[in-house]
This record gives sequence, C-alpha cells and structure tokens, in this order.
Amino acid sequence: MIGVFSYLVFFACIVLVLGIMALGLNLQWGYTGLFNAGVVGFYAIGAYTHAILITAPRPELIGNLGLPWIVGILGAMAASAFAAWVIGLATIRLRDDYLAIATFGIATTIQLVTLNWDGLTGGAQGLSAIPRPLVGWFETPLGFSLWYLGLLVAVVGVLYWALERILNSPWGRVLKAIREDETAAIALGKSARSFRLQAFVLGSTLMGLAGALYVSFIGFVSPFDFLPILTFQVWAMVIVGGSGNNKGALLGALTVWAIWASSGVLISKLVPPAYAAQGGAIQVILIGLLLVASLLFRPRGLIGEVPVVSRRADD
Amino acid sequence: MKRWIAISAAMALSVMLAPADAAAQANCPVKIGGVLPLTGSMGPITKKIAESAQLAVEHINQGGGIKGCQVQFILRDDQGQPTVGVDAAKYLVEVERVPAFTGTISSGVTGPIIASITGPSKVVQISCCSTATPFTVDGRSQGYFFRTLPTSKTQAVATAHEMARRGLKKTALIYVNTDFGQDMSRFIKLATPKLGGEIVVEVPYNDNQPSYRAEVTKALAAKPESLLLIGFPKDAVTIVREWLSLGGSQKIALNNSMRVKDFVDGVGGRFLNEAFGMDNAQVAGPTVDAFNKSFEEKYKYDSKGPGVHTQYDAMMVLGLAMNIAKDLTGPSIKDAVRQVHTAGGATVGTGPDEFKKAVELIKAGKLIKYHGATGPIEFDANGDVTGPALVWKIVNGEIVTDHVISIDEMQALFKKIDG
Repeated sequence: MIGVFSYLVFFACIVLVLGIMALGLNLQWGYTGLFNAGVVGFYAIGAYTHAILITAPRPELIGNLGLPWIVGILGAMAASAFAAWVIGLATIRLRDDYLAIATFGIATTIQLVTLNWDGLTGGAQGLSAIPRPLVGWFETPLGFSLWYLGLLVAVVGVLYWALERILNSPWGRVLKAIREDETAAIALGKSARSFRLQAFVLGSTLMGLAGALYVSFIGFVSPFDFLPILTFQVWAMVIVGGSGNNKGALLGALTVWAIWASSGVLISKLVPPAYAAQGGAIQVILIGLLLVASLLFRPRGLIGEVPVVSRRADD
Repeated sequence: MKRWIAISAAMALSVMLAPADAAAQANCPVKIGGVLPLTGSMGPITKKIAESAQLAVEHINQGGGIKGCQVQFILRDDQGQPTVGVDAAKYLVEVERVPAFTGTISSGVTGPIIASITGPSKVVQISCCSTATPFTVDGRSQGYFFRTLPTSKTQAVATAHEMARRGLKKTALIYVNTDFGQDMSRFIKLATPKLGGEIVVEVPYNDNQPSYRAEVTKALAAKPESLLLIGFPKDAVTIVREWLSLGGSQKIALNNSMRVKDFVDGVGGRFLNEAFGMDNAQVAGPTVDAFNKSFEEKYKYDSKGPGVHTQYDAMMVLGLAMNIAKDLTGPSIKDAVRQVHTAGGATVGTGPDEFKKAVELIKAGKLIKYHGATGPIEFDANGDVTGPALVWKIVNGEIVTDHVISIDEMQALFKKIDG
C-alpha cells in the first residue's frame, strides 16, 4: 500500500506542476482569448534559468552559479516574464491564428537554442545534478515527495487565490471584455494592447514558474523536456477542464494527466505480454478517444465558465 | 456526471491497487519492468528492441526463471516524452514493486528517470541505448545505472593505447567541438598519461570552416611529435593538409569517421603511410550467432538494427544477476550485476539452454562469465561496457586493417586506466 501511496504523491506533484501551467494558459486563453501555442517555450525558459542559477559550478559550463533555491525560482519567473514581454511587444497585436503560429515558432526556437548552446545548457546531454530543495532532510523518496507536494499545494493555493482576486476585479473584467469584443472594449477607452500584453506576461510567468518547480522536483533537465507535445497537453487540460475557469484548469490538469498515466497502466494490465510491444499504439488511441469523448459530452469542459451577470441587471 | 467521475475514479484506483495486494501474497512471478518509447519518433526502431527484450524474457523463463519463479515482464511506453517515462518508471518501482527495470532509449528520458527514481529509490536500471556520458560519471545514479552498449570511451582508450604502442610520446590533439568530440577528448586526456604518452596541446575546432590555419598553427606551436585528430572527414582533409604543409609530422592518429576513401584521397595517400586510425570492431562469436538465429526463428525477420542485441543482453544480465543476488532488492541486484562476468568463471552464452546451465552453476555456488548477443559483457566502474576495437592503417592509398584489440585486452586497458 505504501507503494501506491508513494506513487500517488509523485503523480499529484506532476499534476500540480502541470496545473500551474494550465492556470497560466487559462489566464491567456480562457480569460483574454490569446492563442498562445508556445506554452512549452516559457516553461523551458523557467526550467533552464532555475537550473543554471542554482546548480553548482562546473568547469565545462558557463553559468551554474550555485545560488540558493529561492533565487532560482524568482529568477525563473523574472526571466520568463521578461521573455514574454519582449515576445509580446513584437507579437501581441497579431490575431488568434497568427499569434499561434508566431508563438509556436518561438517555442521551437527556444527548444533549439537549449539543444545547441552547449556551453550554457549542456546541449543534448542536459544538465544533471540540479539540487532538489532540502532533499538531504529526507531518508526516503516518499518523504521528499510529500514535502514537495506540500510546497506545491501551497504555491497553487496562493496562485489560485490571487488569480481569482485579480480576475474578479475590474482588471479581470476588462480582459473578458477584450476576449468577447475587442472593438467594444477599445470604444470604452481601454487599451486592448496593453491589457493583452499584461495577461500574456503574467500567464507566461506562471509557465516559467512551473518549469522551475518541475526541474527542482526531478533534478534533471534536457531539451527533450520541451517538445511541442507538452503545449498540446496543457491545451487539452484547459479545454477539457473548462476554459475561463481556474478550477476547471486545475481539474483539467488532473483529468488529462490521469488519462495519460492510467491508460498506460491499463494497457500493461490488459494486453497480453506477447503483444506488449504493440500496446503503446493502443494507449495513444485510448488517450485520443477519451479526450474526444470528454469534449463530446462536456463541450464547455468539465467545469465551464461561470456566467457573470451584473449586480444591476434587475434594475 | 459526478457519479460517473466517482465510478471511473474508483475503477481506475482498483486497477492500480490490485497488483500491490497480489505482490504481498506471493513472491512468484518475479517482476521486471521495462520502459521503452514504443510510440513517438523512436517508435519504428523500438519495435525490434522491445521484441528482443521479450525474447530474452522467454529464454529466461524457459531456462528456469529467477530463483525458481517465472518472470513477468511489465513493459511501459514512454512515448519519447520525459514526463511520461518518469511516471511509468515511478509506477513500476512503487506500485509494481519491480527491483530492476530496463530502459530507455532517448537520453532525455533516461536522465530524469535516473535522477528522480533509479538513484533515490535504489533500483537497478539497465539501458540498451542511452549514450550520454554524464549518467554514469557524475554519480547521480549511485551505481544503480548500467548500459550494455559501448560508449566512445572504448575508442578513446584504444587510441591512447595504440599511440603508446607506436611510441608517440608528445601528441597534439585537435578535435571537433561537438558532444562526440568533447567526449572523446575527455577520455583521451584521461587515458594518455596513464599509458605513457602526453597530450601537449588540445585545440577544438568548429566544423565547416574554409581554413583551419589558426588551429593548426596553435597546435604546432607546442612542438608536438604527432597529431591526434578527432572529427569528420570533410574538415579533417583541410586540417591534415594544412598540418602537413606547415611542417607537421606524418605520424597521425585518426578516429573511426576517417575510415573512408574520400578522406584518404582528399589528403593524398602518399602522405598517410604513417597514419593509423580506430574503429569499433564487429562483434562475432557463437553466442552472437545463437541470438541472431533464435531471433529470426521467432519473429521471421533478421535481428539487424540499433539496440536489438544490446537490449537482449540488458535483459539477460538482469536475469542472471537476479539469480546471483542473495535477495531481490535493488542493492543486492546491483552488486550481483558485477558478478555476471567474473574472471575464471564458466562461460555461459545466449538462449534458454545456456541460461539453464548458468542457473545451475549459480545454484552450485560457481562463478559465471556471460557472453551475450554482443560478446562478453563486463561492466567497468561506471557501469559501462566495452567492446573490441580495430586498428586500421593506410597502405598505398588503401585502407587496411592492422589488427584487432580484443575485448579482453580492452578490459585490461580499462582496468589500468580506471585504477
């Protein structure tokens, strides 16, 4: 039983890291209507910044400063925010699909940079021996996972609370107004460009934070962590969970990742050993079917957006 | 809707929980895990690799299994994605309670598995195919990670050995600035002094430049007696020509990539009569043939392809080590992996009959020496294996084989260098 518990704790940690990314994308797409197809790029910037800042110095690599863990986390957020700001200035006026193409290209570029800038990122071999916070205090992997789960729950709790507050403030209502009708929002005197940029930077900062929290949980980072499939997974989480609802984004992260992980378990249990080599293909089909089914039965997501009516609607 | 979620969650949980209870009741079957990219970009080459692993499991079971139990091989797909692979490995280790598993192919997936699972949880992992050097060198695996394919270390050590044998004392090293070149030069620098030579200067070069005069001049400034060039043929032609025209020695050592006619013709064969190079030698022997035959019989196509032979050996090593280990825990198996090939032991090969023979020897308390689908398998201090190397030279513009450094000689060299 302890094994199952240990696995579930580990699983929950990954879900929460993915959940942070889903919250970031939900802010961008669910509330503001920004089609960011480069989620993984900002995740990569956060992950590598953290790894480079906190890993102990090595002669063959520049960077690797051996700074405290918290500096790595804050640095990762700052770096991804800055990157999002620069990228946002150049691309934010692009509409839907154009923004998607631009951000997708940028994410691919970032991944290629991490693959080729050997001196900084370790290239294809990746960066290993990234310190995990307080790992020395725990004798078992389960102990460390439990502490990390507590940390992630706290981080996600704070993020959720903060996002709910700002999104229910006038600022959040402007974002929704832009999403629904940008021209009308501009006519009301709001600078759509500025608000879109703010949402883009804030959402991308969360993605960077997720990247930093992921590598400090795993202790290893390489360019293969940042393939485009991850962007697709985070999108699936937001859509399946219900875009425009932060609870939905978190539930989506849980649901999609549970489908991904449990389908593999199911295949390894049900497919006879002789056909195990073909089981992988069945798993991919199963994942696709479950995602399609969830969209057919819950087209607005598991928890859709809560309709908001003005307090003065009855007047 | 809520009920539907609750029911499906309960079902998923019950499926996940079932194996843990079963494992608590009986010790048979013995479980071995596997994590391989069955789908994704590596999917096409992984099919044969997975089949090879299954063939090995079949042979282990026909040969008596592990400690009298049949082996259950639980294979999971990592889809070439690190998060998926880590999750699969974590599940195998925690829920299925496997003490050892094999995998995986992409270094980008193997790395996080070693860092977050293999090392911390103390389970044995043997990979058929991940080559990145830091895995076994930087200590993250805590000795629990092994691999059955020779790394670039084999070629580097063979080169250092051959240079020493030919009496090349002061050598300039020029290498291509890629992960391959860096890896090679690192091992060359480690091995050369221990075999009596000296690298007097090392100069990295970037590929596809029109001229390498600056690099060559820098190398010659150290007054070397010979040149060791690690790189690729096109740029190597330019470098060697400039080296010779600036008065460099004709005693030139080369790596495997230069074993092509284009390179020899590009430089001019008459300048290369004192040059020699290295390559990995083709592994041959009865145990290799036996594996090829049984693979073809089972799957009706040949066993050619990357990772097929090394994966078979990875599984067989696990099967033997788990028989040798005093109990089926990670630390015991880790120590036993090093006893799969013991000097003076009785040689055992591939296939069910040989496995049976090995199990009987182990039961009788005798030592064994495993010769697998890739020849003799012996792990060095880092958990890497070595293979035989081949020395070639150029005679009248033709590339000819000089001699082969056998795997036993290679292992002796490794011992000398690792101390």
